[in-house]
Amino acid sequence: MKDELLELKSRALKELESVSERPDIEELRQRYLGRKGLLILLLKKLVELPKEERPAIGKLANQVKEDLIRKFQSVSDSLTTKDLEDVSVLDVTLPGRRIPLGHLHPITKITEEICNIFVKLGFRVVQGPEVELDYYNFEALNMPKEHPARDMQDTFYISDNVVLRTHTSPMQIRIMEKTSPPVSIVAPGKVYRPDSDISHTPMFHQVEGLLVDKGVSFGDLKGTLTTFVHQMFGPGIDLRFRPSFFPFTEPSAEVDIRCVVCQGKGCRVCSHTGWLEILGSGMVDPEVFKIVGYDLESVSGFAFGMGVERIAMLKSGLDDIRLFFENDIRFLQQF
Amino acid sequence: MKVSLNWLKEFVDIDQTPTDLAESLTMAGLEVEGLEHKAQNLNDVTVSRILDIKPHPRADRLSICQLYTGKQEVSVVCGAKNITKGDLVPLALPGITLPNGMLIKETKIRDEISQGMLLAEDEMGLTDDHTGIMILPDDLIPGQTLSNAMDLEDWILDVTLTPNRIDCASIVGIAREIGALTKKKITIPEIHIEESDILIEDLAQVDILDTQGCPRYAAGLVDKVKIGPSPFWMRYRLHSCGIRPINNVVDITNYVLIELGQPLHAFDYHRLGDRRIEVKRAENGQAFATLDDQTRYLDDQTLMICDGKGPVALAGIMGGLDSEIKENTTTVLIESAYFNPTVIRRSSKRLSLTTEASYRFERGIDIGGVDLALKRSLMLIQQLAGGNIARGIIDCYPEPWSPPKIILRANRANEILGTSIATKQMADYLSSLTMAVKVVDQNRMEVSPPSFRVDITREADLVEEVARLIGYNNIPVTLPAIRPAEEDVSELVLRDRIKAMLVGMGFIEIITYSFISPKSADLLIAGEKSNLRSFVKLLNPLSQDQSVMRTSLIPGLLSTVRLNSLRGQDDLRIFEWGKTYIKGEGELPQEKQVLAALITGFGSRQEWYQEGREADFFDIKGVVENILEELGIEGSEYKRNNPKEGLDPHEYARIHFSGSEIGAIGRVSKEVMEGYGLEKSAFILELYIEPLLSLVAWEKKFTPLAKFPSVRRDISVIISCSTETAMLVSIVKEMGKGLVESVDIFDVYQGKQIAPQEKALALRISYRSNKKTLTDDEINKIHEEVIDEIRRQTGGRLREGPKDGNSR
Repeated sequence: MKDELLELKSRALKELESVSERPDIEELRQRYLGRKGLLILLLKKLVELPKEERPAIGKLANQVKEDLIRKFQSVSDSLTTKDLEDVSVLDVTLPGRRIPLGHLHPITKITEEICNIFVKLGFRVVQGPEVELDYYNFEALNMPKEHPARDMQDTFYISDNVVLRTHTSPMQIRIMEKTSPPVSIVAPGKVYRPDSDISHTPMFHQVEGLLVDKGVSFGDLKGTLTTFVHQMFGPGIDLRFRPSFFPFTEPSAEVDIRCVVCQGKGCRVCSHTGWLEILGSGMVDPEVFKIVGYDLESVSGFAFGMGVERIAMLKSGLDDIRLFFENDIRFLQQF
Repeated sequence: MKVSLNWLKEFVDIDQTPTDLAESLTMAGLEVEGLEHKAQNLNDVTVSRILDIKPHPRADRLSICQLYTGKQEVSVVCGAKNITKGDLVPLALPGITLPNGMLIKETKIRDEISQGMLLAEDEMGLTDDHTGIMILPDDLIPGQTLSNAMDLEDWILDVTLTPNRIDCASIVGIAREIGALTKKKITIPEIHIEESDILIEDLAQVDILDTQGCPRYAAGLVDKVKIGPSPFWMRYRLHSCGIRPINNVVDITNYVLIELGQPLHAFDYHRLGDRRIEVKRAENGQAFATLDDQTRYLDDQTLMICDGKGPVALAGIMGGLDSEIKENTTTVLIESAYFNPTVIRRSSKRLSLTTEASYRFERGIDIGGVDLALKRSLMLIQQLAGGNIARGIIDCYPEPWSPPKIILRANRANEILGTSIATKQMADYLSSLTMAVKVVDQNRMEVSPPSFRVDITREADLVEEVARLIGYNNIPVTLPAIRPAEEDVSELVLRDRIKAMLVGMGFIEIITYSFISPKSADLLIAGEKSNLRSFVKLLNPLSQDQSVMRTSLIPGLLSTVRLNSLRGQDDLRIFEWGKTYIKGEGELPQEKQVLAALITGFGSRQEWYQEGREADFFDIKGVVENILEELGIEGSEYKRNNPKEGLDPHEYARIHFSGSEIGAIGRVSKEVMEGYGLEKSAFILELYIEPLLSLVAWEKKFTPLAKFPSVRRDISVIISCSTETAMLVSIVKEMGKGLVESVDIFDVYQGKQIAPQEKALALRISYRSNKKTLTDDEINKIHEEVIDEIRRQTGGRLREGPKDGNSR
């Protein structure tokens, strides 16, 4: 009988382990501990035992019963806790309470990115007028009236002597006029040319740079702009310096980078040349130094200028420049 | 400029592949933007002989040609009339795709089989000619491919020239550059002319009356020419270089223009009055018909070529209609001249007339090459149009050009470039560009550029030539030691701080065009004398809508709202930081930095945790309060003393701080909203950056933290609706004797419990001393005084008993 009791207990515990739902547990409890349960049935056999054995077996039977009741209770309790947890569980996938976030315009972001690279190199940021005297926009930059180089840039006129600046280069003159060397500036800002199509807007942005000091060389220009290109487009990017012409620099150079779209294989973006022109540069022309009254023999310098939209388009893959100034918020929210 | 590789090869040996050649020209500053392989798809076109031509039985206009292709006989239906039996013609057999994309197939044309197509020049992309089937020279052999037989294969380089390199606007110019880069000699065409016995001086006379405008004028004369079409090879080359063939004489002048860069003009000699040429300025208002059949009105600065009676050509720009070469012209006078660049540019601009000739003259052609080009054209005319060339040429050249002498210092060049190139090597580079170089000493050399290098006048120009030839990519890379200067970047710091705050407050930055429509001032209901109407006007705007510089950023904001609203995006928080341009007394307008922001649509959006709410005045006010707090500007005043253009006269405020107006906020007025077709209320903020700059607390000072507890008292005051909260607050602060730490408005009530013209404000006043713990008695005394003073000054009353409370 003792064995039967112990066997019943272990069978009950084993079966209890294998159920997890409340009704199953209840059914199991009824089967073992109920009024017509297995334990009661077994205890009915107690009378059949010799008298001297009864107290010990009775004690054991009570022990088994208590153990099982306790065990059933604890399993049932743990289920209750679990039920409560299910009710109060946090849906962490609900969206958070947000203060809606704004966005800077992509042109602002790229302009900042460009300027910050030069600021870290020691250049400072300056700004100047957009409605500009012909003198600063052209004449002082070695483009007198009737100079064919003026054809390179169509111009919005306000009067014979006043234009919307066609480039940020007038800042070179304005800064040199009121500062003696050394000069190291970058001048970001809006510029204007009468052109409007998928790759031109009548207003766009440039960043101008100028470094004048003793002994500044074309090698320095190459080093500075190489540093810039590597920081802007990635350290591995290939670049080249190509002779060009600007009336206010001599020698002049265009800087091309390996096409970021096709990696140089040739595509529509790079007109199948494998290269993308990203900025113009050169050593400051002696005529410009003469105009601002610098001593040609004791200083030299370099200047550069780049289009912000072009760089932003190359970096973002945008192919219609007009989107920058349409200001559809779905566009602006992407940046 | 388009350049034929085959043509170049007549001047210089080229052993590079076309792609490599393009690359090396690009890297020398002659940017090759395009490379076109000519006639590569004509390998499949076969030279064929016409064996027989029969009329098409069922079509009057068509005939059936029997052809021999070298391998087989084929039958082709053809509509052209210029072919005869025995002609050699180009034949495209089935399976061939023509340059225009047409695929040749065997077809039936009105029941007759056609096994290919006979081709005209334009159908093969060779020229524009479509007058008939191309008849090939008789020495070709049937079966040859057309491109081999006619030597058609060529590469066309599309070179973009910078304005300084006009010497390269010719075959010879680019050949010279290739020669210098590859260390090869160039070949100038030899001149062979058979001259007649009649001296040109006996036939014509040239007088330059304006040697400043025309330093050199040469002329030659050919009699008994036969005007007709040019041979195929010449038309093919001109077409490849983008020039439309006209007739043999005109084509030759164009051919020499492209080849040598010298613009020429051919006159019909018999149309020249008095058989003479005079070069002089026109008279003011004089009319002249150019050969494009336009009447042009001249001024006294316009340089003209005249005959004994009047003008016959606009010097350096375009010939006249009357003396143009026609089919019946028999005697031709060829002009080869050098005109002053500035004079030509001025006239070309004034007349808005740019030609191949004016393009070159205004940049400066080779004054030393005037006679060679003239002789080259005479030789070609004799070859292609026949005729007798008068003996000699006229060459008026009163002051022959002498080369400048420029000193180049090798050490200066090395300093500028960051190189260490030897003097001798520099001299070699410059010599290879056909410059005369005389080494003066170890450092210096005297350099004389040739007459075609008009761009070389100074040492710096020679430095660039040295750099170009050594190759920019071979110059060592160094980094400069930059000595940063002192800077005032306060405006930029301010800008970045304010922008960052706006982004944090949910605003999206926009950038709109600086030019707007002049109507924008009307749309903002600007007064007659308003600054908003002080427009800077563009003389040549792209459109009326972009014809004046903006005087306010608000039109840009509202246009942006409209664009987005049309696309279903009605809830916006946007801002722009930019300039306004106000026309003033000076030559340049006042450019003022302004920040403008706008809220429209929701103030807060409906979310699972909150109700939605439309934006109102206090949404935009909160934005400006946040910004001003960040800038350390405390105690600004919001005044409703002078309505603001464009804003609702009941819902606006001008923001003042220590005597300056620094901005404004308000609801966009109903009229303005209607003007822009907008429905949802919009609230605007403007901050004027210049006055702000001097008010910003750049360095914030530390205030010791309070050691003693504060005591809070709440009151609710019923006052007239017209009394401003700011007045209550200032009374509290004034009466508080320096013990009022803060005053918060925690409730505003208008409604049934009080009179309609009244409002109830609930104020929470915090009292604190920095010297001691305030006692109840002390606070009660002050608080009573505060309440009395509010009653006295506003006529208000307490709504309920004061609530007391303590805070830490």
